Amino acid sequence: MKTVTRLLLGGVIATLLGAQQLQFNLDHLAPKASNVVDVQLSKDLLQFAANFLDGKDDPEEAQVKKLLSGITGIYVKSFQFKAEGVWSPADMDAIRKQLRTPQWARIVGVTSVGDGESAEVFVRSENQKMTGLAILVTQPKELTVVNIVGSVDLNSLSELGGHFGIPKVETPKK
Amino acid sequence: MIAVAGTGQAACDFDALVREHQSMVFSLAYHFLHDRAVAEEVAQEVFLSLHRNLGSIESAAHALFWLRQAAVRRAIDETRRRRRRPQVALEQVAEPAMTQPRGDPMLSDVLRRLIAALPEDPRAVMILRYQEDLDPPEIAELLAMPLATVKSHLHRSLGVLREKLARRGVGEP
Amino acid sequence: MDWLEQELKRALERKEPAPGFAGRVSAAARRRPMPRWIAVAASVVVLSGAAAGYRWYEGLRAKRQVMTAIRLAGEKLNRVQTRVMEVRQ
Repeated sequence: MKTVTRLLLGGVIATLLGAQQLQFNLDHLAPKASNVVDVQLSKDLLQFAANFLDGKDDPEEAQVKKLLSGITGIYVKSFQFKAEGVWSPADMDAIRKQLRTPQWARIVGVTSVGDGESAEVFVRSENQKMTGLAILVTQPKELTVVNIVGSVDLNSLSELGGHFGIPKVETPKK
Repeated sequence: MIAVAGTGQAACDFDALVREHQSMVFSLAYHFLHDRAVAEEVAQEVFLSLHRNLGSIESAAHALFWLRQAAVRRAIDETRRRRRRPQVALEQVAEPAMTQPRGDPMLSDVLRRLIAALPEDPRAVMILRYQEDLDPPEIAELLAMPLATVKSHLHRSLGVLREKLARRGVGEP
Repeated sequence: MDWLEQELKRALERKEPAPGFAGRVSAAARRRPMPRWIAVAASVVVLSGAAAGYRWYEGLRAKRQVMTAIRLAGEKLNRVQTRVMEVRQ
């Protein structure tokens, strides 16, 4: 009986931890894309990579190294296509469904009807602590999903995107 | 996995692509970074990256698109890595030091410096517009940027440049 | 095109790299990349020096992936923030 309970509990914990990492199911788009970025970095690989980041002489790598301290996984799929109509809303619906659990909150959503761009940012929280980030960006010829597991400083991350003087992104307080 | 470009035909095609596009790639990097030596390094990296990805190039037009995109991205990466041109707001771009008559080579040099001091995105848009003569939809596609944003960058950058030059007596008669 | 745009076209005319650039690039391409058989051989050779070299190579590859992922995430987050600013204006 005790063994069964432990196994069940382990399964529940694994499920909860696993829910921080999204299932993309987007590999079918790769053969149709002109450019693909596919990054799957678990905690072990991140720790391994961090050893090779120059924290002394390269300010950008130092900032990334600092950012990694709270992160336990980075998963990115980004596709660029030569023509419109290659990806469908159904591709994104499967991912959005995973973001409808109580732990996930959409903090920003912007849609531009004119150029067909849509961008959303979701944050996962547990016990008032951030445990995950998801960024979904689509344009007619591009689809990008970023999933970061763990805690990440959004403003530092945004700075690494190359722009300054941008208002802070507010994270929800539960 | 590492791709190895090994066939003789691929090697010939690659050499031809380098000869045909070296000026374009180098110039994109140079106008972005305003440093010949660094621009050559960046240009070489771009072509070596092309060499690794030669198998995915489908046509001459694709090669041109690929090289333009890679050159701009690599130049942006280099800017961030070296922090040679700190990011400034568009309106804070430095004014030229002296009055230049139109058509003067010194005015060209001043304009290149002003362009190189712009924030990265407007800088890329301006260089693609006036070096490569791309129209806004082509720039939007290449930079994966909304068309409205491209137009906004062009409009604002030209406005700021006009203002900076006008203060120094350089403008329309 | 107005006068400024004409001057910008003149200022941003394409320039040639230093003489011999194409030859240097072609020569560098022929030296790179590291042939696949070396990477595979490094993973099966028992000598500690060869194993350490492969680990170093894999570490650089992981680092490049991290930098790519973080930059892309930062770029997209930035894009969202820029669009929010545009909407607010």
